[in-house]
Amino acid sequence: MNAPVLMFALPLLTAFLLPVIDRLSGLAGRWIGPLVLVGNLLLGALAWPHLQDAPLVLAMGGFRPPLGIVFYVDRMAMLFAMGVALGVLLLWPAWAQDKDRVRISTLTMVLVTATTGLALSGDLFNLFVCYELAAISSYGLAAAGGSAAAGAATLRYMVISSFGSALMLIGIALVYQATGTLNLAQLAVLSDALAGPQGLIAFIFILLGAGVKAELFPVNAWVPEVYGAAAQRVAGILAGIVSKLALLIIVRLLVLVFRQPEAQQILLVLGVLGVITGELAAWRAQDLTRMLACSSIGQLGVMFVAFSIPGPAGVFAGLAVALHHMLVKPALFLLAERWGGALTRLPGAAQKSPLAAACFVLLALSLVGIPPLPGFWAKFLVVTAALGQGTPAYAGAVAVILAAAVIEASYLARVAAHLYRRVTQPLSANRQTRAAVTVATCASAALVSATLWLAPLGNSLQVTAAQAADRDSYIHNVFPQGVQP
Amino acid sequence: MTPDIGQVLFCGSFGLVIIGIFGIVLTNHLVRIVLSIALLETGANLLLVMSGYRPGAAAPILVDGTVPASMVDPVPQALVLTAIVIGVAVQAFMMVLVLRVHTAYGTLDIREIRTLLERDITHAAGVPLPVSPDEPLAQPHTVLHRGAQ
Repeated sequence: MNAPVLMFALPLLTAFLLPVIDRLSGLAGRWIGPLVLVGNLLLGALAWPHLQDAPLVLAMGGFRPPLGIVFYVDRMAMLFAMGVALGVLLLWPAWAQDKDRVRISTLTMVLVTATTGLALSGDLFNLFVCYELAAISSYGLAAAGGSAAAGAATLRYMVISSFGSALMLIGIALVYQATGTLNLAQLAVLSDALAGPQGLIAFIFILLGAGVKAELFPVNAWVPEVYGAAAQRVAGILAGIVSKLALLIIVRLLVLVFRQPEAQQILLVLGVLGVITGELAAWRAQDLTRMLACSSIGQLGVMFVAFSIPGPAGVFAGLAVALHHMLVKPALFLLAERWGGALTRLPGAAQKSPLAAACFVLLALSLVGIPPLPGFWAKFLVVTAALGQGTPAYAGAVAVILAAAVIEASYLARVAAHLYRRVTQPLSANRQTRAAVTVATCASAALVSATLWLAPLGNSLQVTAAQAADRDSYIHNVFPQGVQP
Repeated sequence: MTPDIGQVLFCGSFGLVIIGIFGIVLTNHLVRIVLSIALLETGANLLLVMSGYRPGAAAPILVDGTVPASMVDPVPQALVLTAIVIGVAVQAFMMVLVLRVHTAYGTLDIREIRTLLERDITHAAGVPLPVSPDEPLAQPHTVLHRGAQ
C-alpha cells in the first residue's frame, strides 16, 4: 500500500513537466493540474479504509526509519493531504489568469507537493525542506500578476519569512545537537533530552519559523498586505490551506517531541494575542479583503489555543476548528474576488447575485459559531476542552474567544447589512462569477450536510484526533521491533 | 590557554546570527536587509554543521573499504547543503523583487515602501487611508509626495 507516496510524487512530476506538456497541447496543459489533484483525491479515498486500524508507515527506498526517510500516514495526515487537493482544486489560481497559466500552474503544483509533504512527512529534515518549498512557491504565487503592490507586499513577506526560516533552522540545529536525530519517532523516544531550556529555546525558534506561515501573532504582519495585494484565489489558498499545514508541524512537534508545559503555555499566550489583535483589526477594516485576512489571524489564534490544550481533547478541538476554517475561508475569499473592495461598494450585491449573498451569510454565520452550524460545534469543543483544564489561564483564553465571537458577529453582520441593502441601480461589477458561486454553494452544501451528520462525523474526527495524539503508538508504528539506540 | 576551535566556531556562528538579526531589525535599506538575511542564514548553517562536527574525525566517505575510527555526521551536512541552495534561490528572487519595487516606487527604504504599499492597497480597495489617532497632525506626508511623482 504505497499509494500515498504518489500523492507527493505526482504533483511534483507534473509541476516540472507542465511547461513541456503545455507546449505540446494547450488543452492538456490547462487540465493536467486539476486532473492530478482529482487523482490525489482518489488516491486518498482509496487509502482511507486502510488507515482505520493502524497508520501506514512508508519507508522511502526501503531504508528503515532511523536511517531512511519515512512518511507517517495516519488519518489526520491523510485528512489534511486530501484537504489540500480539494481546496487547491476548487481555488485553482490559473483559471483566473489565463495569460500566465503555465507558470502559475507550475507554482501551484509545487505548492501542492510541499503542503502534501508537510502533512505526510515523519522527519524533521523533510518537514523543513517541504516548508521551504511551500514558502518559495507561495512567494511566486503572491507576486504573480505583476502589480507593484503585489511585488512590494511579497518582498516584505519574504523578509519576515526568510527570518523565520533561519530561526527554524537554528531550532533544528539545537534539536539535532541534543538528540543526534531528526526522525520524529526517534525524537519522541529521546524527548527527555529536550525537556530542559535548550529544548524550550529550540521549540520557540521552530514555532516562530513555522508560525510565519501559520499567521502566529508576532510574525503575521505580512498577512493583510499580501492578501490585499495578491490575487484572491492565492489569498484563499494561503489563508485556508497553507496556514493549516504549517500549524500541523507545530501540532506534531508538540504531541511527540516538546512535551514540557512551558511550550504549551507559550502557544496559548501567542494564540490569545493572535485572537485579540486579529479580531480587532478585522473589526476596524473597511474593505472585505482586509477583514477576511485579519479574521483568519483571529481564527488561527483559536486553533493555537485549542492545540495548546494537552491530550486528545485539545487535538480534537483544534482539528475541528482547522477543518471548518479550511472549508469556509477559501469560499469566502473566492466571493471576495468580486466583492473585495470597500464595504460601501457592496449595496445591491444581493440583488445581483442572491445565491452568492445567501451563501456568504451562511458561511459567515458558521464562522461566528451560530448554534446548529458546525462552526458552533468546533468552538464549543475548544471552550469545553479549555475549561476542562481548570486553570485561570485557560479560563481567560475562553473569555477572549467568546468576546472575539461577539466582535466577529458584529463585523460580519455589517458586511451582511451592506450586501442586502437595496439600491435602485446595483453596480454590475457586483455580479459574482460562476466559479465563485459554484464553490460557495458547494461549501455551503458541505456545511449543511455536516450539520445533519454531525454525530458520525464528530465520532470519526474524535478517533482521528485520538490516533494523532497517541505518542506511544506513533513510536510503536515506526519502530515495530522496538527502538534501536 | 588556547581557545578550543569548536568554541571559536560556535561563538562565530552565533555572532553571525546576531549581526543578521540586528541588521534585519535596525536597517531600513532593502539591500542591507537582504544582506543581513544572508548573514543570518550563514550563521544558522554554520551552527547546524557544528552540531554534527566531531574533533579529529574524517569525512564520512569510505575509501578502499577501510573504516576510519570516527567520522563526521553527514546528516547536518546534507541539511545545510539543502538550506544553502534554498537560501541562494530565495535571495536571488528577493533581489529581483527589490529591483521591481525600486522601478515602481523609486525608493529602497522599507518604511516608505510600506506607506506606499498601504496607499496602493487602500486605493485599490476604494477606502480612505487609515489614520492613526496618535499620529501628529502637523507632520507633513513627505513620503507620499515623493512616491506620487
